[in-house]
Amino acid sequence: MSNQHVSTRAPTGLVLNIQHFCTHDGPGIRTTVFLKGCSLRCKWCSNPESIHLKPELAYNPRKCIGEKECGFCLKDVCPESALYAVGSGDRPDDKVRVNWDLCTNCGRCVPVCPTHALTLFGQEMTVDQVLEEVEQDGSFYRESGGGMTVSGGECLLQADFLAALLAEAHRRGINTAIETASNVPWDFMAKVLPHVDTVLHDIKLTDPERHKRWCGADNTRIRANLKRAYETFPDTKFIARTPVIPGVNDDEEHIRATLAFIKPYKNVIDYELLPYHRFGEGKYEFLGAVYEMQDFTSPSPETLKRLREIIDEAFGRPTQAR
Amino acid sequence: MENPARRIAINFGGGYVPGLNSVVTGVVLAASQLGWEVVGIRDGFDGLLFPDRYPEGGLVTLTPTLVENLAGAGGCILGTAARSDPFHVRTINAENMVEEVDRSDELLGVIQKEKIDTVISVVGARALSILWKLSRKGLKTVCVPKSVENDVAATMLSFGFNSGLSFVADMLERCRQAAQSARRVGVVEVLGEHAGWLALQAGMAVCADAVLIPEIPYDLRKVALKLREKATAGRGFGLVVVAEGAKPLAGLGGAAKTLDAPMKAALSPGAAGGESFHVMDRSGQAAAEVALEIQRLTDQETTPLVLGQLAKGGTPTVVDRQLGLGYGAGAVRALEAGRSGVMVVFQPPDLKFVPMNEAINQVRTVPADSELIHIARALGISLGD
Repeated sequence: MSNQHVSTRAPTGLVLNIQHFCTHDGPGIRTTVFLKGCSLRCKWCSNPESIHLKPELAYNPRKCIGEKECGFCLKDVCPESALYAVGSGDRPDDKVRVNWDLCTNCGRCVPVCPTHALTLFGQEMTVDQVLEEVEQDGSFYRESGGGMTVSGGECLLQADFLAALLAEAHRRGINTAIETASNVPWDFMAKVLPHVDTVLHDIKLTDPERHKRWCGADNTRIRANLKRAYETFPDTKFIARTPVIPGVNDDEEHIRATLAFIKPYKNVIDYELLPYHRFGEGKYEFLGAVYEMQDFTSPSPETLKRLREIIDEAFGRPTQAR
Repeated sequence: MENPARRIAINFGGGYVPGLNSVVTGVVLAASQLGWEVVGIRDGFDGLLFPDRYPEGGLVTLTPTLVENLAGAGGCILGTAARSDPFHVRTINAENMVEEVDRSDELLGVIQKEKIDTVISVVGARALSILWKLSRKGLKTVCVPKSVENDVAATMLSFGFNSGLSFVADMLERCRQAAQSARRVGVVEVLGEHAGWLALQAGMAVCADAVLIPEIPYDLRKVALKLREKATAGRGFGLVVVAEGAKPLAGLGGAAKTLDAPMKAALSPGAAGGESFHVMDRSGQAAAEVALEIQRLTDQETTPLVLGQLAKGGTPTVVDRQLGLGYGAGAVRALEAGRSGVMVVFQPPDLKFVPMNEAINQVRTVPADSELIHIARALGISLGD
């Protein structure tokens, strides 16, 4: 019945992307591996292509050259008749269109598209395949103190694959970090965290009902998991993070509540604020999804400064210039 | 023809348009003539899928008495479900994790359990595709097209369009007078992502200076030329109507040119395109771009205004009341004739029934040689080409 296989997966993982030279996903210069699948539905998600734990069709109309010039995908390729064209082929909008309600993400249209307007997000990869690509940046890690960060989606959903990937990275001397929202069964965390040097974890909202309203599920399990993780893995570094969304969680109350939650634990070494951005907005159309955050803007520098001052004070350090 | 007693249901998918209650009335009155029972499903299929949300019941028994004064009322007595899709129902599972599950089989089971014979569904383009999938799984259904933009294929006139058109024309008239008073150029955006009927017909009705529709890529220099001529003649104001899906001619980017954003592109594969570009809900973007560019080209002050979704509210016009009643009664007539999997369409002077899949993946756009286009040009309205 379920579309989303939330069980653990091995020996391959569903990888969305491997991104090189990242500087915001943990210490030093890092390579970030994005795994597909998430257990929350935050309205501000900037990586909507990472949400579902299955390969998904994406369509970029700007790359489509239309029925007149091409039209290969319209020739009995789609078993569901989900691809169609409107118009006579001589207007800027005469591109192929996707009826997302009929599309089943089978991907049969992808190989026939010469301009790669139709692509499939997500590919199965083995641990070795991922690390082969990650190790291309080995010299940067050694010089900058960086390493590999696994992100998502929610990377912990693929716990078996993730544990295997991180363990092998450690064996090869690569520093490891994960980015997680931690809304998974504790077993998944217990399996993965022994192989992680730094855990970057979100604390999006403190109130359970508001968390459910904006992120799709309440945060009861997240808080329980994080407390247990802080206590079970005292030698692992944790960095708490809040994506700051104006009108949702850009208030002192949330920042102070988060600080009260993390401060008793010495292995939570920092609390970072990530200002909301709309980089992900354009991607929603590629997936046929509706972006619901039209009326939201990025937080102002003044708000961020004020909130960061509270954090700096709590960590007993001078306000950092950013 | 023998017509045993039947229990049929009616529901609404997609957003509001004026005249939804007229369809309810049409269905209930026509069905009662045949001795059939009619129930309404609240909020799309939510009344059946989420009974816990409805303390008074997800199904409403609809009688002729209940709908006595309903036909001319705005809104919808049953509610609609703008993004309801029984094939992808967002759920929190036992592990508190969010996932989308297919509940279509369960829905069909509930419909059977409730002894609902057939569902008459009032749909726009998206809800039509979902209904088609349910129909292929065995749901007996007859659907009725609704669209303020009049872009549903196979029918000449969707109900809701006439009311939207009257509202938009009234607002345009007011905008023109406001623009005249302030000596400005009013740029008014109206609904029409793929089809420009609303912009074209309302713009024509008030003799706007220019009408920009998705079917005709525009060159704002042509519009500016017309506005400058008018200003030279001492009439330094204007009214430009732009459909939200109108686009500039290839190579002529609007004021907000598309820029590639390297950071965005770097986030994940396929993530190309400038911020705020290629957004599904583009409300206000067309008006803002056109107003800025016209101001640049004419040195006349411009005021963008977005009517957008406002056209979907309010009470239906007499035309839409008639159409709604007609579509409702037509759907019952289709059932009486033993039809299923069809859409009721208005092809003057007849109401006909066509297979649902003939309307899927089709958009009713304004043809280049449409009489309306010729009339607009004859009236001196610039179409930006």
